[in-house]
Amino acid sequence: MSTTPSNDTESMELDPVFLHSKREAWIILGLWVVALLWAVPYCYMNGYQAGFDPETIETTMGIPSWVFWGIAFPWLVADIFTIWFCLFFMKEDDLGVAHEDEDLAEEIAEMHATQDEATAGGNES
Amino acid sequence: MNLLFDINRSLPLVLAEGGSNAALVSFLIYTAAVFVLAALSNRLLKSKSFMSEYFLGSRGLGVWAFALTFAATSSSGGSFTGFPSKIYTHGWVLALWIGSYMVVPICTMGLIGKRLNQVARRSGSITVPDVIRDRFHSPMLGLMAVSLIVFFMSINLVAQFKAGSLILQTLLDGVTVFESAAGSLSHAVSEIPYLNSAESPEYLLCLLVFGIAVILYTTYGGFHAVVWTDVMQGIVMVIGVIIMLPLAISQAGGLEHTTKLMAKMTPPRISDDAKGGVTLTLNKPQDEVLHIDKGTWITDEPIPNSKVPLLFRVTRATEIPAGETTVNEVKVLQLTTLDDIKRVLGQRETEDFLEGVRVSNIDLKAYAYGEEGAQQGTYVVGPGPSPSSSNGFLPFSLAISFFFMWAISGTGQPANMVRLMAFKDTKTLQRSICTVAIYYTLIYFPLVLIFCCARVLLPGMEGDPDSIMPKMAVLLTENIQMGWLAGLLVAAPFAAVMSTVDSFLLLISSAWVRDVYQRNLNPEASERTIKLLSYLVTFVVGTAAMIVAINPPKFLQDIIVYVGSGLAASFLAPIIYGLYWRRVNAAGAMGAMIGGFSVHLAMYVTGYFVNGSFFKPYQLFNFDPIIIGLSVSFISGFVVTKLTAPPSDELVKKYFYTAKAKS
Repeated sequence: MSTTPSNDTESMELDPVFLHSKREAWIILGLWVVALLWAVPYCYMNGYQAGFDPETIETTMGIPSWVFWGIAFPWLVADIFTIWFCLFFMKEDDLGVAHEDEDLAEEIAEMHATQDEATAGGNES
Repeated sequence: MNLLFDINRSLPLVLAEGGSNAALVSFLIYTAAVFVLAALSNRLLKSKSFMSEYFLGSRGLGVWAFALTFAATSSSGGSFTGFPSKIYTHGWVLALWIGSYMVVPICTMGLIGKRLNQVARRSGSITVPDVIRDRFHSPMLGLMAVSLIVFFMSINLVAQFKAGSLILQTLLDGVTVFESAAGSLSHAVSEIPYLNSAESPEYLLCLLVFGIAVILYTTYGGFHAVVWTDVMQGIVMVIGVIIMLPLAISQAGGLEHTTKLMAKMTPPRISDDAKGGVTLTLNKPQDEVLHIDKGTWITDEPIPNSKVPLLFRVTRATEIPAGETTVNEVKVLQLTTLDDIKRVLGQRETEDFLEGVRVSNIDLKAYAYGEEGAQQGTYVVGPGPSPSSSNGFLPFSLAISFFFMWAISGTGQPANMVRLMAFKDTKTLQRSICTVAIYYTLIYFPLVLIFCCARVLLPGMEGDPDSIMPKMAVLLTENIQMGWLAGLLVAAPFAAVMSTVDSFLLLISSAWVRDVYQRNLNPEASERTIKLLSYLVTFVVGTAAMIVAINPPKFLQDIIVYVGSGLAASFLAPIIYGLYWRRVNAAGAMGAMIGGFSVHLAMYVTGYFVNGSFFKPYQLFNFDPIIIGLSVSFISGFVVTKLTAPPSDELVKKYFYTAKAKS
């Protein structure tokens, strides 16, 4: 997902917020994949039994063991990872000041420029 | 006037009745608090840029405000009604159904949060269509985004109004003053066309109270009112769950005991909606009509060769006319678990039993999955019992789809994106993700535990599962002689739905005022015009949605699912590409948006022809339409971008580059 811009970029550099955000997004996506691969197959292999004897249900802290190890425990791990990732890995970037209404101002300027051109064109003809 | 009079006259009585009317008292206190917050928010509007403040809170949200508004908006009314009822009905497998919430906070906030906030600041964008329009410098794309948001969110708003009213109706069910007020309202509107065709007077009353409250505080206070009420609602929700958890576990006899009992449970037998049920015969005729309410227990001697007593619960109210002894096809469910039957029969003194009646012509059906010998222990293993699907509640392919749905589709929701544009700085984002992660852990997994305990504490609720939350709240608190506490607990569901509705309302009105009027019709409109228009549009959109919700469409949950997945299929790819891919251009973003929207819609339309209903979408390769829609959206965005010219250098520089720091 990258391409080289064709303009001269001597006075400019790739925005660090963009670079940091992209790296962080890939890691988060990786975490989602790991969570999916842990939770769903584990629960399916250990918690989807046909011909199960109700008397033999295995529990951990009162919760069916497949729920504990397939959901509760990874949930705890995901929380610990989330806290570590956010507080110690994510870069504290400067998001810049908000250019309130700059987009609107640009459009108004463009609109006036178009109108002026039309008026000038009309006068010439 | 009659209505007002009834409420005023009865208020002291309500307060005096305590626990049984806790829901009404808490709703009144709660609504008053919401209006105070709206008034405070309105004061902020006077000192700042109106548009940015009204629709985006001046991009100044701190950790608590940002975290809790994000969490509360994402938790719709379903979290406290639909979800508990699903846990109750299908058992422990709901832990897997909701499992992806372990990564939902970091995915929905972390994948795009920082970058989206930066891009919105750089362009001065206030709404999601604004960001798309500015980032791709394409008014056409902006208009397309607005149209989709208005289309999807308007449908959703009506559905959420209905959901809110139904929740309130469930909570206030049985409260004397509420029923008399509904009666007065029914009388007052009996001559007014349209109003008199509402589902029921109770529903109409709840809709009006709930709708007017939400419309007024949202219109008056804008984004900050929504955020602050979200904070309050978020706190109410988590406190409710934290109080309920130990009460539920201890009263059910511990988790170990609960799980062991659940392992032995078998699903009830149920009546077919169209035909069947049971015949009830009174021992002797009554002088007056005998009303049999929903929820009434009926028992009879065991059938020959069985030691298990017959125990039924009425699922649809009926009556036996005066002088007669028999009524046919009474809709009931029959409990089949011996432990449950013994427990209910042991509480015969306190439960609502219909005495002096015999049961015959039992014509009930078994669950499609869960009763067979090979499906024993269905409440503690997957895929969980299901009344209608022979594959069970959560087959493997569906478990994957839900993992996708919550985390990935949640990232593509415009209501969430707007919040990501409103936080103050990166530190706020980092701490908020942690806060929401802890918050969801405290809410969602405990809800599974609480409502598994509900299976032991309140057997036979399958006929009215949506009211399991208020029923549990009342039971748990009355058992510890603190009935008044139920008010706080039952406030959680309407807190959840209110916080969702207000956000959606503001999202739609911002689309009209900012994206349609200011960006396309009159860019030079004065601040005063914009201000008046913002108030007016918010009020009108809310009122229109409320009026449509008087006779709302059916298939509520299906509509909410369609809208949520449709929005993600339309918006996620254009936003992700726009934030992270320099090469993407307006044509590519348009391709992604149209591709995702149309393929997702096509799955539903095909479902109409193949499965007989729009809301039973066609599942290509057994996948939910969201997965197909998102895949097509990403692929079409990529292909169209590659086939068309790159974006202008100026645009790429603006959003992806920054001036080199001087050494």
